Amino acid sequence: MITFEAVTKRYPDGTVAVDALNLEVPEGRTMVLVGPSGCGKTTTLRMINRLVEPTQGRILLDGTDVKSRNPAQLRRGIGYVIQQTGLFPHRTVEDNIATVPVLTGWPRKKARARARELLALVGLDQELAKRYPHQLSGGQQQRVGVARALAADPPVLLMDEPFSAVDPVVRASLQDQLLSLQSELRKTIVLVTHDIEEAIKVGDVVALFRPHGTLAQVAPPEELLAAPADDYVAGFVGFDRGIRRLSFVPTAGLVLDASPVLPADVTVAKALGAGQPWICVTDADRRPRGWAEAAALAGTPADTPLGQVATEPVGHTFTVGTDSLRAALDAAVLSPAGQAVGVDSDGRVLGVATFDQIRAAIQAAGTPAADARLDQRIPEGPRS
Amino acid sequence: MMWSWIPGNWSLIWHLTWENAKLGVLPALYGLVLSLPLGVIAARWRWFYPPVLTVINILYAVPSLALFIALIPAFGLTDTTVIIALTVFSLCVILPNVVAGLRAVPAPVRQAATAMGYGQLRRLVTVELPLAVPLIIAGLRVGVVSGISLASVGQLIGVSSLGYLFIDGLQRSFPTEIYVGLVLVIALALVCDLILVAVRRVLTPWTAGPRESRRARAGRLVKVAG
Repeated sequence: MITFEAVTKRYPDGTVAVDALNLEVPEGRTMVLVGPSGCGKTTTLRMINRLVEPTQGRILLDGTDVKSRNPAQLRRGIGYVIQQTGLFPHRTVEDNIATVPVLTGWPRKKARARARELLALVGLDQELAKRYPHQLSGGQQQRVGVARALAADPPVLLMDEPFSAVDPVVRASLQDQLLSLQSELRKTIVLVTHDIEEAIKVGDVVALFRPHGTLAQVAPPEELLAAPADDYVAGFVGFDRGIRRLSFVPTAGLVLDASPVLPADVTVAKALGAGQPWICVTDADRRPRGWAEAAALAGTPADTPLGQVATEPVGHTFTVGTDSLRAALDAAVLSPAGQAVGVDSDGRVLGVATFDQIRAAIQAAGTPAADARLDQRIPEGPRS
Repeated sequence: MMWSWIPGNWSLIWHLTWENAKLGVLPALYGLVLSLPLGVIAARWRWFYPPVLTVINILYAVPSLALFIALIPAFGLTDTTVIIALTVFSLCVILPNVVAGLRAVPAPVRQAATAMGYGQLRRLVTVELPLAVPLIIAGLRVGVVSGISLASVGQLIGVSSLGYLFIDGLQRSFPTEIYVGLVLVIALALVCDLILVAVRRVLTPWTAGPRESRRARAGRLVKVAG
């Protein structure tokens, strides 16, 4: 656990970067420090490993004032990842990763073996081990940076805008990887970003800074979206926070209707008899084939099986239980029928949900309870 | 050109070449040894460098012969005089490169090293100096080549070097000697330069282009040509 007690950083020219900050980073959680540039978030981060010394106040790491520790010793126990990666250009990938183990006196062979393990952990090919950093892509370099920070298995990881320098696709995959690593490793992570989307995606708790180093709100992401403390927070979080909040609401409470779902061997006559404006046609395994519009089937011979009529693509479906209401709403918006197709984990159709049913589920969910939030995170799964 | 003069004076030529090499290379190495600590100080304490650079530039402006003469009262007509003077000149070209090399270490790299738990000395020796090697060797190359060329001037105060061939050739109106001296000075400089390039390649394997990217570059060129 990291605790800031009334920490102030004032520079010699009088600029106050951080102003009487009180903050607690819970053990094994990811806390994201977010805010506009010049809000003191990076200064706050760097005070933890004493790259910057506070003017006033104390920072406790597991109850010990960091100031009482030897800086080099302290830093070897804290992983550090920065935007420009800071990889050593003159060392191979494996020697970069092995940096801290070697510093703490591991034999080189053992340190390199550890580096290979980490390479695998961050999803990089073993053959990259002997390359130099400049021979890697930006995303690969950033993964090596994360591997290097994790090499000595430190309990604390500091990340300063780690994914800001890569393109959005790579950034998303790096964020996903951080989430999966974190679910396994349970490090105490402090991550600085200026991107509120990133904060909401990777943070267990988000600390939103105002300019000049004070806190506007510290809350789990869903609470930040549902109940911003003031106009500053609401403005920073953005105008579509209502929809984004749905990422945190499970689809478990959504009522599904199975009656418009019919298999391909049912005849057109029977399908029209069901009285639905749209029919979701499935194959023998109950996997979705497409939407058929009742109005368009009027001229089709009555004994034609549904498998032979023209259908419109389903678009994406949502997985009941693991996907969020945001995924369900998005599926409904993109569906030609205006209905979201819910599937089980094997991709078999369970039923469909209309806008009205989704709205009812949103209202039933209400404002998420503030204390139950941490363990209710819905990871954004892949969308089929 | 009298080719037969060469085999007849083989041992003289060899002796002068060796002396010239010594007088050219040793000062550059001494200059490097002096430049490293000075460069480290200058890179760390910025106020230190401008006055040092001013002094160095003034010294570099002094003609080599004048500097030899100025040193004679203290060191006589000896190798030492030439070596000290040339060390000063090599310092003038190597030190700025050491400073530039250390300053060119990217700030994120330096910051990451500190954040990983490097002490200052260890960071300097294992991160900053290795990264400065390409620029330091670039300075050393200029120092060695100019040292080899300036060493021949030492002949004017009686210190053996290939300069002997120029003076003797001129006095005896015997151009063969001058040509041989000229070719040997250039050849010596070239050989030393190539050795330093090889040393840099060995010390900085990371600066070699990756095979992939060379292939990619070739592919690009082919595409442009096609």
